[in-house]
Amino acid sequence: MIPQIEIDKNKCPTPYECKKCLQICPQAIFAVAPTKVERFKETAPEDYEVQAVFKDKCVLCMDCVKVCPTGAIKIKVGGR
Amino acid sequence: MCELCEKYGDNGGRWYLNPENYARPLYKKVEKEKEKEPMILTELQGPFYYKPLIELKDNPEAFEKMREGYLKFHETMSGQVVSLEDAEKMVEIAHPIARIDCICRRITRATLEDGEQRPRSCLGLGVGMFRWEEWPERYKGGVEFLSTEEAKEHIEHWHKRGMVITIMTFGTPYIGGICLCDYPDCLAIRMRLDYGIKPFLLKGHQVAKVNYEECTGCGTCVQRCQFGAIKMEVTTKKSNIDMTRCFGCGVCTYACPQDAISLIDREKLPGLKEEW
Repeated sequence: MIPQIEIDKNKCPTPYECKKCLQICPQAIFAVAPTKVERFKETAPEDYEVQAVFKDKCVLCMDCVKVCPTGAIKIKVGGR
Repeated sequence: MCELCEKYGDNGGRWYLNPENYARPLYKKVEKEKEKEPMILTELQGPFYYKPLIELKDNPEAFEKMREGYLKFHETMSGQVVSLEDAEKMVEIAHPIARIDCICRRITRATLEDGEQRPRSCLGLGVGMFRWEEWPERYKGGVEFLSTEEAKEHIEHWHKRGMVITIMTFGTPYIGGICLCDYPDCLAIRMRLDYGIKPFLLKGHQVAKVNYEECTGCGTCVQRCQFGAIKMEVTTKKSNIDMTRCFGCGVCTYACPQDAISLIDREKLPGLKEEW
């Protein structure tokens, strides 16, 4: 059973400025990385994205959902 | 014998102590190969461990694909655990040396903009550091050049506090850095332990062994092990190291107040010499 973890990019425009979910997760399942990189050029804060890359390790404690200030994280298990 | 030593070692020596693996021509070769393909995401932060995992979803086939992707990635990037002594020899060979942000921790815990709190625990080695310096601040997370002595102090500082020393290559066998890692921040340790992707982080050339005569059962080492290899034997009140799980990082040897743990050569143990 791997949960579906969706992060709404519109509600989470600049993940590096907030990073609450990344730091609270006991299983460290999130990763933040740039979606656009140009050689020797700075990546804009909006071009970073959080993804639940290790979601198979999620224990569904829901800490990230509670801590997210904009409600951008949605976790679903199975059909529920 | 260690596969990397066989291929890249200097007459049977440890591959990471062969000065050729730090040399500029190797770096140039990697850079050239990189220029052939346009860069959309970097190798470090991009397709290899970011995208395949997103595709993973609930699909076991996708997971297998991810594993294959990582194994391919290993052709250009691989790691191995090293002891403090070997790491000190490495910084004597490499030049220049720069303190850089831990790339893994920036990805998994977003520690980039923590100001003074920034851990900046890793070391970048070799001419690649002059290139890394050209990248902007937010992306690279800083470059701070160190002398050999400062680099040794840096490694010792983190290692004694419990960090595992690992090598990272930038186009194997070109040695691009010495990382100081812990679980779960370190993606290399994680890939190896949680997903079984072995080449991502090979075990070191040594393994730790407890001297039961001297062990008092204080349990300090148990807390320090990043690989879950140490347990407390409750009735005998001695700590027990599973040597098949041990990566030989040596963190426990420095943590032990009794000096009861020592590192021994993996290749002297027939049962472990093929275990990397």
